[in-house]
Amino acid sequence: MLKKTFKRKEALATAGCLTALLMFSVDANAQDAAQAPVKNGVSQVNITMTSADGGSCVVDHTSAKAGPITFNIVNKTATSLTELELLSDNRILGEKENLAPGLPASKFTLTLDGGSYQLYCPGATKEIVAFTVTGKSASQPTGSTGSLLADGTKGYATYVNGVVDAMVVAVNRLKSDIDAGNLEKAKEDYPKARPFYERIESDVSGFLLPGFKATDNAGNLDYLIDMRASNLDPKVGWHGFHAIERDLYQNGKITPETKKLAAELQQNVAHLDKLAKQLTYKPEDLANGAADLLEEVQGTKISGEEEAYSHIDLVDFAGNVEGAQQSFAYLKPGLEKIDPDLTKRVSDQFDVVNKLLDTYREPKNPGGFKYYTAEIKAADGAKLSRSVQALQEPLSKIAEKVATSGGA
Amino acid sequence: MKGNKNPAREAGVFSRRNLLKGAVASALAIPMAGSAHTKEVANNDPEDMVDLSKDHAFYGNGPQAGVATPPQRYIMYMTFDLTTSNPRDLQVLLARWSSAIAQLMKGETIGQVEPARDSGVGMDTGEAMDLGPASLTVTVGLGPRVFGDTYGLAKFKPALMRELIALPSDNLQANLSGGDLSLQACADDPQVAYHAIRNLARIAKSTGAAETRWSVLGFGRASAGKGQSTPRNLFGFKDGTRNLTEKADFDKFVWIKDGGPAWQQQGSYQVVRKIEMRMENWDTDRVSDQNNIFGRHKVSGAPLSGTKEFDTPDFTKKDEAGNLVIPATAHISLASHENNKGIRILRRSYNYTDGLSNLGMLSAGLLFISYQKDPAQFETLQTQLGAADALNEYISHIGSGIFFIPPAPQEGSYIGAQMFES
Repeated sequence: MLKKTFKRKEALATAGCLTALLMFSVDANAQDAAQAPVKNGVSQVNITMTSADGGSCVVDHTSAKAGPITFNIVNKTATSLTELELLSDNRILGEKENLAPGLPASKFTLTLDGGSYQLYCPGATKEIVAFTVTGKSASQPTGSTGSLLADGTKGYATYVNGVVDAMVVAVNRLKSDIDAGNLEKAKEDYPKARPFYERIESDVSGFLLPGFKATDNAGNLDYLIDMRASNLDPKVGWHGFHAIERDLYQNGKITPETKKLAAELQQNVAHLDKLAKQLTYKPEDLANGAADLLEEVQGTKISGEEEAYSHIDLVDFAGNVEGAQQSFAYLKPGLEKIDPDLTKRVSDQFDVVNKLLDTYREPKNPGGFKYYTAEIKAADGAKLSRSVQALQEPLSKIAEKVATSGGA
Repeated sequence: MKGNKNPAREAGVFSRRNLLKGAVASALAIPMAGSAHTKEVANNDPEDMVDLSKDHAFYGNGPQAGVATPPQRYIMYMTFDLTTSNPRDLQVLLARWSSAIAQLMKGETIGQVEPARDSGVGMDTGEAMDLGPASLTVTVGLGPRVFGDTYGLAKFKPALMRELIALPSDNLQANLSGGDLSLQACADDPQVAYHAIRNLARIAKSTGAAETRWSVLGFGRASAGKGQSTPRNLFGFKDGTRNLTEKADFDKFVWIKDGGPAWQQQGSYQVVRKIEMRMENWDTDRVSDQNNIFGRHKVSGAPLSGTKEFDTPDFTKKDEAGNLVIPATAHISLASHENNKGIRILRRSYNYTDGLSNLGMLSAGLLFISYQKDPAQFETLQTQLGAADALNEYISHIGSGIFFIPPAPQEGSYIGAQMFES
């Protein structure tokens, strides 16, 4: 399979060269012979997957005239082939997934302009088949996928800025409580400050303060704001939310040290605010960020490691999920054009997770969720984890989709 | 103990050691020379050998592999809950599982491990690369809920498909029981079996059709298949001495041939039980008591009424004091077909361990798997055993499941395809 990966790269390179040559050398008669038949104004191309030669994608016509083209795909016997894509210059224009022997044929239709394309059949002995479209399409598709995705990334940037602004306000409030020595009020406001960071964690976790090396935690804003007891660097000591959490919930008192921690946190969040405002995003950043947030859920929330003293892990859980869902929501208009099935799958799984989370809501608790006690963890941890896993697998495919989607 | 020694079996032990050595050589040879590996065939059990380059076919016209297949050394067993209400999702899952299993059983990856695109996620997780097929079989089972109303498949329900009845001594835990789908992956390399299940579970999640329910990693097959010497369970006793091995017995007791729908013929019912064994107590029990509990001698495996492993037990034989030589509550007595109206089942069990319990005791036991053409076969035997087996003091049935095992699909089709062709 490794070998195949390399092969594909070479194949892409040659496919590019070949089609470039074809455009100049193929004569009109030869083109007609290979050209797909038109039915009700739509060109029909059939692709059959078989196990021959270790996996083959057989394309009945490698050329069609510009306009709507339907690609009909059936997997007869190829166990190693599960998807097919139509590429233009390495960008995915259309595709079908979940193909397997015995399933009914599936199809997708695209309106293509004249030019050279590639049918990509990952896993086949010959993975790339050149596909040529001749002439000019009558109508151009509007609202391109690329521009929808680009709009999404801008919208997402605005969302992140809003979250950071809210975090600044919430942390200021927490600091005032601590400065006033008001333990009860601080314990009410701590859970309210937490979810903001959890929503955008994946975007802001890489910031370094000026003059620090990447390996030095003393300059790592994520470390200074969000480090947990389980991962402390003894050289740098403990700072941030969770050191404050320990003082409020474990030690049960506000000391001069707590006040110092709160002042530090306020300053670091102000830094974060400034840096976050300068961020710009690519579509795949949103997708990868969403996936990373779900990894956070699995890694530190379901384990109960994140909020070891306050047990508000479910508040953080909901924050991570909300952040991931926002990333997805901003990609959704573009993603729907690229892969409606996947979009629906991910939407549905977000619904499942949210529905499950709703069963843990407790309005009278600060933060609005039940405390994540050892009992809940033992009884429900696996259930919570499974709902997130079911979301992680389809979500993990989005980055590749948007990174290879049709150009702007 | 000396009296029970069987010279022929001793010889078998030695040749088996040689074969294992041969297996190591063959494992090393695979990456270099493909099929050119060393085999030291030196005993009478040509099947009882680890050859990591060996593979089984998934597609065919008969039963699925992994039932009559002589048991491999390891198992990874997992059940799944359906998470979709759309029959199309179930159809896609069974089709994708089938094609992936066909590849896995050939020792192949199920797609790119390292995709060319930067943002790509691997189709296959890669940890079984270069390990060879290791005789992997993956057997797919369909649980009762598949044939409920949700998917419109009720009309395809196999005639005898149902939940098992409650049985005496059941101590079942919900999180170790049930499931809508089952996968039994057996291989001679545990990493190969684990890899298969892991990647099939990924497919389940990515199609949105199912999520994991419970799972057992088992080792040291605890039942013999045709041509295999009898292995031992974790209590040190030979298990499966009288297991089914002959085709005629499979036809009589295992494969469905009931004149029902064609796609169910040569299917079977899989019953799976997670049986906890209380090791610490067992290990302090005197061996004479242990022998009486099983009804066999520990080392030779001979029934207490005989001298050699394969001697037919005599359940009527009495000693001078007038007591049964094989006690009426002995495991082999209650389980025997002689005492169960001739009923037999195919056993395909594995030992398992879950490390230590929260009480600091060894958490281990038997993943009991049986195949039969009618679930009542198992129920009949277990009703007797659960009520009176002397072994019950040392074991507990903590998990349970039942699944219909459709026959193998032909190439170009998939497990259960006929349910979706209306």
